Amino acid sequence: MRKVVVAAVLAAGMAVLATAAWGSAKAPQGASSASNAGSALVKCGKTRLIGLMAPFTGPAASIGINQVHWANFYKNRYNRTHKKKIKFVNEDTMLGASNGTAEAVKGAQALGSNASVLGVVGPAGSNEVKATTGALKGAGLVFVSGSATNTTLTTDGTRTGFFFRTVPPDSSQSKSVSAYMVNTLKVKRVYIVDDQEAYSIGLADEVQALLKAKSVSVSRDGVSQSQSDFSAIINKIPRNTQLVYLPWQLPPKGKAFGQQMKTLGRGGIKLMGSDGLFDPAFSGLGNHVYDSFFPLNTSDARVAAFKKSHGGNSELFGAPSYVAAQVVTGAIDRACKDGKATRAEVRRQIKKTNISVKTSLLGLPVRFDGRGDIVKRPFGIYHSVKGVFVRVA
Amino acid sequence: MDWSLFFGELVSGLTLGSIYALIALGYTMVYGILKLLNFAHGDVYMVGAFVAFFVLQWLGGPLSPAVTGWLAIAIMFAVAMLACGALGVGIERFAYRPLRNAPRIAPLISALGVSIFLQNSALLLWGPQFRDYNTFDLIGVKSYSIGKNFFISNVQILTIAASIGLMIVLTLLVSRTRAGKAMRATSFDREAAEMMGISVDRVISFTFFVGSALAAAGGVMFGIVFGQIFSLMGFTAGLKGFTAAVVGGIGSIPGAMLGGFLIGLTEAFSTGYLPGGSTYANLYVFALLIAMFLIRPSGLLGSPVIRKV
Repeated sequence: MRKVVVAAVLAAGMAVLATAAWGSAKAPQGASSASNAGSALVKCGKTRLIGLMAPFTGPAASIGINQVHWANFYKNRYNRTHKKKIKFVNEDTMLGASNGTAEAVKGAQALGSNASVLGVVGPAGSNEVKATTGALKGAGLVFVSGSATNTTLTTDGTRTGFFFRTVPPDSSQSKSVSAYMVNTLKVKRVYIVDDQEAYSIGLADEVQALLKAKSVSVSRDGVSQSQSDFSAIINKIPRNTQLVYLPWQLPPKGKAFGQQMKTLGRGGIKLMGSDGLFDPAFSGLGNHVYDSFFPLNTSDARVAAFKKSHGGNSELFGAPSYVAAQVVTGAIDRACKDGKATRAEVRRQIKKTNISVKTSLLGLPVRFDGRGDIVKRPFGIYHSVKGVFVRVA
Repeated sequence: MDWSLFFGELVSGLTLGSIYALIALGYTMVYGILKLLNFAHGDVYMVGAFVAFFVLQWLGGPLSPAVTGWLAIAIMFAVAMLACGALGVGIERFAYRPLRNAPRIAPLISALGVSIFLQNSALLLWGPQFRDYNTFDLIGVKSYSIGKNFFISNVQILTIAASIGLMIVLTLLVSRTRAGKAMRATSFDREAAEMMGISVDRVISFTFFVGSALAAAGGVMFGIVFGQIFSLMGFTAGLKGFTAAVVGGIGSIPGAMLGGFLIGLTEAFSTGYLPGGSTYANLYVFALLIAMFLIRPSGLLGSPVIRKV
C-alpha cells in the first residue's frame, strides 16, 4: 500500500513538473501569437459589440456602477445619433471580491472567445488590468480603462499596444498631491493608510517617496477593502499627525474612516483622499477634507445631462469611462469603414485617437502616447467647503 | 507603555468582540442542539442589519426620524430581531429539518446553499452599494474623554452594554426557564428528551429563533457603530463568529461569549501592536483558531467528547 502511495505521489510530482515545463516552453509562442492575435475578419453589421468590464457587483460595486452608468450614457447618446449602433457585452469583475481577480479573468476569457466583440471598455482596477492582460492580449482585444491608474501598467511594456487609459497615471496624481501637501498645507507629519490593492499601494508608495524626499515624516499602514472597523488602526495614529492620506477606491469606506476618526478624538486631523474617494460621501465629512481628482470638465453640458437623468447624482468617478467608450467606439467606427474589421485594425485605430478638447469631457484633448497614456495633465486638488468639493489647485 | 493606545485598542476590541460574541452565540446554540454548523448564520446577521436600515427609512430616515433617535434605534433592534428570528425559524424548517436524519454532510451543504442564497438575494433586492445608518445624524455620536487621551463614544458604550445585557438575558433564559431546560435536555440527548414529552421540533425552532435574533442584534450594532452595511458583510463576520464559537468551545454559551471577546481583542491588539498588524489582523485571528485546535481542540470552555469505543 505504502509503495502505491509513494508511486502515486511521484507520478503526481512528475505530472506537475511536466506541465510546468510545457507551460514555460509554450510561453514565448504565446507572446508571439499575441502580436498576431485578432486578425480574424468580423462583419461589423448594424450593431457593433464592445465588452464592458466593471464591478457590477461586489465590494467595489458602488463605484463600478458609476462607470457602468457613464458608459451606458455614452452608448445611449451615440445610438440616438448614429445609424450603426453599439451594444455592450457586460462582464462583472467583482473587484475586491474574496476570490481576487478570478471573475475578471473569466470575463476577459468570455469576451476573448466572443468573435463579435471588437474592443473592451475596462477593467476598472489596476490589479484587474494586470490579471486580465493575458486573456485580452491573447485574444487580440484592445482594452481601455477609465480608472486603472497604477503607473507600471503602461511602463512595464507588458501590454503596450493593447492597453490604453483615459485617466492620467498615479505618477501624475502623486506629484500633485505631495506638492499640495508640502507647499500649500505645509504639513510635516503625514500618516498614509493604503487599502492593499494594487492601485492604492502604488499610489501610496509614490506619495510616500515624494514626501520623504521633502523631509516630511511619513508613517504607513494598511487596511483591507472589506474592513469597516477602523478604530484599531486610528488608535495608532499619533495625535500630532497633521494629515492622514487615504488612497482608497471606496467612498463609503473613506466616510466611515473619517467618522470613526471624529469618534476617537482625532477629528481635527486633516484628511486627504485620492480620486477614488471623490464623492459627496467623503466631502460631507467636513472642512478638514481634501481630495485629488483626475482632469474633468465639470461644466460640460453632458455632466449636467447625466446628473439630470440619474436622480441628481453626477457620479463623476465614472466619467472617464464615458471617454473610454468614446475612444473604443471611435476606433471601431474607423476600422469598420468598409463594413468589416479585425481586432488588430481596432487596435491600430485606437492609437490614432484624437478627440478634441470640446468633445472629450476631460477638459483636455484625448491622444495617446506610445505607451497608452493620455496627454498628461496634473490632477486637480479639491477642498471640501460646506460638504462640497471646491477646486483649490 | 502608551496607555492611550492600549485603552483605545481595548475599547475597540471589546466593541468588535461584542458583535462577534452575539454571532458566536447563534453558532454555538445551534451546534449544541443539532450538531450542525449553520453557515447561513453570518448572512442572517447581514439581513438583520438591512431590516433595521429599512425600518429607519420607514421611520423617516436619520435626518428627520418620526420618533426620537434613541427610540428609533430601539424599534430598529426590535423589528430586526423579530424578523431575523422568523427567518431563522424558516431556514430551519425548510433547509435543515428535512435533512435531520440525513448524513451530516447534507445539512452542512444545505447551510452553505442557504448562505449563498441569502447573499445573492440581498445583492439582487438591495443592490451592491453600501447603505449608511448615519448614526451621527440620528443620535449624535458623542465622545467621552477619560483623562487626556482616552476616548470612548456613546455608541461603543451602547454596543458593549447592550451585548452584555443580551448575553445575561440568554444565560438566564437557558438556565432558569422551562424553555431553557428543554433546550438543555434536547442538547444532552434528543431522543430521550422526545421520550420525556419535549417537543423537540419546537425547541429547535425556538433555538433558531433566539440565535438568529441575537445575530440580527449584532448586525444592527455593527451598522450603528461602523456606519455602513453591505450585502456581503455577513461572510467575514460569520467566519469570525464561527471562530469565536470554536475558540470558546463550540456548544458552550459562556465559551461563545468569551471567544467573541477574545477574537475582537486579538484583532484590535494585533492591529495596534504587532508588525503589519492592520494588514495581517485576520492572519493573527485565524492563527489563534489553528493554535486552539492544536492545543485544546474542545475550545477554552468546551468539554471533550467521550465516545464509546
